[in-house]
Amino acid sequence: MEVIVKANGLKKYYGKGETLVKALDGVDLEIERGKFTAIVGTSGSGKSTLLNMLGGLDVPTEGSVQIGGQELSRLNSEQATIFRRKQIGFIFQNYNLIPVLTVWENIIFPITLDRRRPDKKFIMEVVQFLGLDSRLDTLPNNLSGGQQQRVAIARALASKPSLVLADEPTGNLDSKTSDDVVGLLKVTGSQFRQTIVMITHNPDIAAQADRIIRIEDGKIAG
Amino acid sequence: MLNNNNLKICRRLILRDIKFHKGQYLLSGIAVMLVCMLYTFTLCLGNLTYDGFIYSYKMMYGSNSHILFYDLTPAQAVKVENHRMVRESVSLFTLGTLHDEMLGVRNVKLAVVSPGWAKETASVPLTGHMPREKGEIALDEITMNSLAIPHEIGTEVSVTWTQTADGSERTDRFILCGFWENRMGETETCAWVTQETALALGDVLDKLTLGVMLYSPTDPENQAREILSDLGIQEIRFTTNLACNEARKENAGERSMKFYRLTLIVALCGLLLLFQMEKLLAGQNIRFYGLIKSLGMTPRQLRVLSAVRAILLSVTGILPGWIAGFMICAFVAPHVMVGMEENPAFFFLKIWPFPAAAILTFLTVFFSCLPAIRSAVKNTPVEMLRYEERDRKKRRKAGRRRTSLFLLALSGLFRQKGRFVAASVSLLISLSILCCIQTIAASYDETKYLQERSLFDYRIADASAAASMQRYNPKSRSITRSMYEALAAHPAVREIGMVCTMEVPMHADLQDRAQIVAVFEETDENGIARKEHMADDPDWMTGYETMRESGDYIGIVTGVNGLTLKRAVTDNLLIEGSFCEELFATGQYVVAAGSSSTLKDTPPAGSKVTISGREFEIMASVPWLPSMISGMDSKEAQFNVTYFMPVDVFEELFPDHGIRNVAVNIDQNGQDAFEQFLTDLLQDTGADVISVKDHQWVFHNAVFHSCMIPFFVGSVMLFIGLLSFVNAQMMGILVRKKEFAVYESLGMTVRQLRRLLFLEGVLYQGAMFLLVIPSVAAFTYIAGQWWLAHTNVWCVTWQYSLTPLWLTLPLLSLISFAVSFGFLRSVTKESVTERLRIFR
Repeated sequence: MEVIVKANGLKKYYGKGETLVKALDGVDLEIERGKFTAIVGTSGSGKSTLLNMLGGLDVPTEGSVQIGGQELSRLNSEQATIFRRKQIGFIFQNYNLIPVLTVWENIIFPITLDRRRPDKKFIMEVVQFLGLDSRLDTLPNNLSGGQQQRVAIARALASKPSLVLADEPTGNLDSKTSDDVVGLLKVTGSQFRQTIVMITHNPDIAAQADRIIRIEDGKIAG
Repeated sequence: MLNNNNLKICRRLILRDIKFHKGQYLLSGIAVMLVCMLYTFTLCLGNLTYDGFIYSYKMMYGSNSHILFYDLTPAQAVKVENHRMVRESVSLFTLGTLHDEMLGVRNVKLAVVSPGWAKETASVPLTGHMPREKGEIALDEITMNSLAIPHEIGTEVSVTWTQTADGSERTDRFILCGFWENRMGETETCAWVTQETALALGDVLDKLTLGVMLYSPTDPENQAREILSDLGIQEIRFTTNLACNEARKENAGERSMKFYRLTLIVALCGLLLLFQMEKLLAGQNIRFYGLIKSLGMTPRQLRVLSAVRAILLSVTGILPGWIAGFMICAFVAPHVMVGMEENPAFFFLKIWPFPAAAILTFLTVFFSCLPAIRSAVKNTPVEMLRYEERDRKKRRKAGRRRTSLFLLALSGLFRQKGRFVAASVSLLISLSILCCIQTIAASYDETKYLQERSLFDYRIADASAAASMQRYNPKSRSITRSMYEALAAHPAVREIGMVCTMEVPMHADLQDRAQIVAVFEETDENGIARKEHMADDPDWMTGYETMRESGDYIGIVTGVNGLTLKRAVTDNLLIEGSFCEELFATGQYVVAAGSSSTLKDTPPAGSKVTISGREFEIMASVPWLPSMISGMDSKEAQFNVTYFMPVDVFEELFPDHGIRNVAVNIDQNGQDAFEQFLTDLLQDTGADVISVKDHQWVFHNAVFHSCMIPFFVGSVMLFIGLLSFVNAQMMGILVRKKEFAVYESLGMTVRQLRRLLFLEGVLYQGAMFLLVIPSVAAFTYIAGQWWLAHTNVWCVTWQYSLTPLWLTLPLLSLISFAVSFGFLRSVTKESVTERLRIFR
């Protein structure tokens, strides 16, 4: 199988001396294309840091990350950003919606940045699936936490990226919606041959994954 | 693959952001407006100062022409007119030059009427008309006053003049047909006659003067030579306009440079203000940039976003900034360029300061946005999204302690230290500037100034001595004896006196001469002979050397009575001898006046002098008071000794004399009636009046002029400081909306929140006062003392003043509490749950 994500000796340290925090402490990882991978671990174990490193949102203290054969550290800031917005869909834990843009504008924002035409038919399907079709002209401040979560999911899927990185996308959703969202991710994943890497605390959701990676104290435990 | 960027999205994002954060952008817009206003003000003022000086040089030169060519034949003039460098020209047939020693340094040409020239030199009669008939003449008022010609059309005028053609001197009579007030040509002007008159006077009108305007007057001196050389008439004499003189341009440039230098301070103030505002919003902005960067906005798009933001911010502030800046300039300009009828700001209005101000404003805004954008470009999205969290992590080292409202307030103050420092810097700088300026302004001593400059409530000057560069003509009769008596009889007049002067050739014997020479040959504390200080006045030097060698000098015999006697002699400082009014009235004594209050540069008291054949004894010597007498004396009298004597004795010696000055002190209750009376009495006489009010105006104007710019900059900076202070307070509350909701959710009442904010306000102000008061007080004292030690202004008395500081501090307290409580109400309007959901 083709490896889409490859991390070698990944380390991320914060602070110095006594206050040194080893958020990631030598992670080696390979993820195959088209697979659904769940990352689990206790709070503060380094899950989000790992996801940020894999998505190129943060730079490691040591080690390297390759996405689809492209080593991220070889790209300058401009190239890395464009690469990320074309190849990776990120679902943030705290949604990261732009408060001055409507739901629709938020969803198509990364595509607009890229000056591409949004696939309206596909996006509307996702929107309807997530139950957002009546809220497209609403500003994020007027949505509930769950609705904001769904907008963040729709945004990540809208550009049909080859890699979807999701940081607890179902944290604010009820169990039925959570199941539906995971189902959607799996469907789009298989339809567009997407690789999905998801952080979750929910064992049921983790159980639906092709592979489970457990992180403890900044290291892969299993 | 990696090269696709949509830049239009930047504009949309910023427009939405503006719509979303109207309040913040309004404050930023005001800040931008202030910056643009300051730029417009300083650039307009710099421009009008330069143009004003150039204009005054043109006024002195008496013509707008870049070059004046003299003694051209009509054929040569046509050639010059058609030269490629010449844009336009005006011609003048000059018969000769008026010759009268009373004209002093002025050059008045007798010329054939030339409408173009007259228009160019503002010498068109405003009363009467240009000569139309043979024998008519039109003159300017200064010339008329100097020659004691009454301001009446139809008056017969006798003019002595030197013919250009052969240099011979002749006197002719003309009929005055028109005259004009001098707006130009204080040193150079024309007396107009008709062509018919010129021909009758024997002039063949074969030589003319040509004034030319060049297309590009870069170096008129060399351009004039080039024109003459091209035409093969190098022998032709020419002069160039003073306004085109490189040294004078340089001088005007230096004068205006002080205003242009201010733009640097403005740039700093502007950057400080906008940077502070950006700093206050830094957390919010950096998080926003981090958010959009995490979604795929590239560094290039972020830079464009920043530029679009700067442009939109600039656009909102530029137009009101232009208007406000120009209006302030229009208000200040009459105090900078004194003596113009029109407002100099409008008279010298140019377009370039406006686009220049707009560009500088944009650059200032752009540079102030740079730190946030640099951070956005440099840092990873995760670092930016955690920008505020990073600060919070730093603060976690506080340790374990019991929490109280006071400790919460204290920690709030520490959390806001960045904002505190940003707001304090502007206040510190502005209050230091303002207190220094206040100290300097208060130290200018009006009483001292008026004691020296204004010896009387009113000083009336004969028309021939109305201007400081006019030589007094004793034949002038603009102030008559009957006018003097009418003035003396006015009920408001408390004291009155007159000054009559006559220049008389005198001789100092060896003993007298020795005393005077000893003073001027002696070296001063710098080792320089005193006479060397007068080396730049050749007329004084000539007079002194004549006296030293032969004993001959000019005495200015001055008749004084009543008030003028009192000021000149009785109340004046005695350098030598003693004064007895009864003996002085006998007419056997005079009082000598020297140039200084410490030097004995007159013949000694007790010695005898002969004035017009009559012998007097010098009773005492006093210093001469320059403000007692108006106008100039002849160049031969630049070195002189003044002798005061009673007016009746003066009249016996010089029965055919005029009155040079009249001094009046009045009862202030009758001021309005007296001034009306004075206006009516002196109507059409050309006599000039200077009142104590004029001196006060001059004093206040001078103080205003010297303090205006730093005061204005300080005031704007104070406004900037207050704006930053309000902004810091406001943002300090708005960004803590969620934090307050957390406190409330944990059981804190709104009353407790209010107490928390009150405590924060008290601590915030206490810290600010502790920083600002000692710093400003010390800076003002040191800077004020330094100024006092280095200033060359003579009328100063040290006055330490911190008034701006004491006025500002209560205002700060008021603003602080008003903003805190006002915004607390606004941020607690929504429910706790709603506020807890805020993510930006």
